[in-house]
Amino acid sequence: MPRTSSVVLAAGAALLVRRAVRRRIATSPLWPMPALEAPISGQGGRRVPSLRLAVAERAVPAEGVALLRLESPAGTPLPEWKPGAHLDLVLPSGLVRQYSLCGDPADRATYTVATRLIEDGRGGSREVHEQLREGAELVVRGPRNRFPLAEAPSYAFVAGGIGITPVLPMLRAVEAAGAEWRLLYGGRSRATMPFLDEIEKLGGERVTVVAEDEAGLPDTAAFLSGTGEGAAVYCCGPEPLMDAVAAALPEGRTLHLERFTPGASTAQLGTFEVELRRTGRTLTVPAGRSVLATVRDELPNVSYSCEQGFCGTCQQRVLEGEIDHQDELLTDAERQDSMLICVSRCLGRKLVLDL
Amino acid sequence: MSNTPQPAPVVSEHIELKARNVSFGWEKTPLHWIPGDPFTGHTINVLHLLLPAGERWFVHVYKQVLPYIRDERLREDVIGFIGQEATHSAAHDDVLPHLKALGLDPTPYTAQVDWLFEKLLGDRTLPPGRARRWWLMERVATIAAIEHYTAFLGDWILNADALDERGADAVMLDLLRWHGAEEVEHRSVAFDLFMHVDGSYRRRARTWATAFAALLFLWQRGARFFMENDPSLLDGKATVGAFLRAGRQGTLPTAGAMARSIPRYLSRTYHPSQEGSTAQAVAYLASSPGANGGR
Repeated sequence: MPRTSSVVLAAGAALLVRRAVRRRIATSPLWPMPALEAPISGQGGRRVPSLRLAVAERAVPAEGVALLRLESPAGTPLPEWKPGAHLDLVLPSGLVRQYSLCGDPADRATYTVATRLIEDGRGGSREVHEQLREGAELVVRGPRNRFPLAEAPSYAFVAGGIGITPVLPMLRAVEAAGAEWRLLYGGRSRATMPFLDEIEKLGGERVTVVAEDEAGLPDTAAFLSGTGEGAAVYCCGPEPLMDAVAAALPEGRTLHLERFTPGASTAQLGTFEVELRRTGRTLTVPAGRSVLATVRDELPNVSYSCEQGFCGTCQQRVLEGEIDHQDELLTDAERQDSMLICVSRCLGRKLVLDL
Repeated sequence: MSNTPQPAPVVSEHIELKARNVSFGWEKTPLHWIPGDPFTGHTINVLHLLLPAGERWFVHVYKQVLPYIRDERLREDVIGFIGQEATHSAAHDDVLPHLKALGLDPTPYTAQVDWLFEKLLGDRTLPPGRARRWWLMERVATIAAIEHYTAFLGDWILNADALDERGADAVMLDLLRWHGAEEVEHRSVAFDLFMHVDGSYRRRARTWATAFAALLFLWQRGARFFMENDPSLLDGKATVGAFLRAGRQGTLPTAGAMARSIPRYLSRTYHPSQEGSTAQAVAYLASSPGANGGR
């Protein structure tokens, strides 16, 4: 039997401890766990936010082109964007397609995208044209910008057909800033080329419109030779047009390309080299094979999972080389020096990975 | 060895794992997403506090354990598991800014959970060799114990018809059921991995005790945090009574079911495939709006 005095002493001590702990918790409710000074969770993360938007208006600005104005059903302001940005549209079937924003960045209530119906395409544009009627709701991710407008003494834009969409907000921005610019705009016929009136009004003499049924293919070499030293050249359009611009680019101009069919770009078909700097090996990535598959031959324990560019497990640091980002996860900052090796490739001849 | 009872997997419950790309739009989800029952909603909301950091940590640990796997099928399972967990973490993380926009900033709590998983349970500065391996195995065993509970909760949410009857928000229910279904789908992986790389019963029991105590501590704390900081509640309190009541109504798991799951995990013949239904999980995943492009 414990003595009465011991019991009283123990009970008194317990009461005091309980009172002290309660008082401590009252002053700082989340005591006693420490917190990370720079929290990671809930900071917007690197996942591009999803938004559920409704089609507020659908128009046909040119033959075979559908223009959609999307707005938040709740009326909340949409995230900001800059010229060159695009949205991922998650279509009703689950297909994800990227479309450049072609509206006004100052308009925080709506996003505007325009798409051309591609008859023998992979089904995305058909779905947009046939299923996204006014009032339809869909999930979008973004906006993100892979085609940002850089500071330059002058600008030259080359757009082919629906490739005008990322260029249009750029034209408005450089015009508003009073910069020197020129545009070469090609298309199959004037009737199929969207935004012609607005562009001709905006640019006047600085705009060269070449419709294939009237004047054949645009002379990119002549256009580019007229650009000033240090000019930034922005091109978006079909692959042959972008190849022609890349081939005809004079010295001292910087070229910015936007491939609006990422899955089918020629870059994905090309062969290039990957150097594993820490392993000290250089591997060749053949056409049709991913960087991941090639690296796994050498390093079987390299981590990966979804192989579709959304889970982020295979992210690797890139030390050198120009990356052709094909994923839908990384932020623009992460894209500077890292890539998802399951889907992304190389724009040049060689990538150096920190592996 | 032949005298020791061995885990008995149910072979037909095995399935090839693949991460699913999901989209959830949170614009229309209210703070009290179970109408008129903030306590139950907030108790479930604790998932959004724990999972972003927790599942990121799973991925971090499992990337390190890949070189220890000597079984090709298990390696495939672990690789599928990693992608699913990474996607879960990101999907729950997306809910947090929405809670903040609704006036309930979860950052004070999530910053602590971040500390727990990034620092306390992080890699630490250990010499290569035994110490580093010991700490890795300890964490692998802890993940197996936690996955016992995620599978338990996954099976529960797939069958929680009371939530539909109460008019719970469709997007939130879809997030929880998509996640729950993938937890049921991959419920054997963490346990199989632990048995493959270590399998010590003492470690399994020890890490179970730690994980169970930590989960209880974090969960009651999270529920109290939400109830006390909810701007629309004057005197919000999370109580044991409310928890037991929700269990009786079917909007939360019952205390009894949770207690009964303890001896099952500690049984020497336990294998996760003995509980839950892969077929039910796969059926849900085939119809989930979020897992099928936001339909």
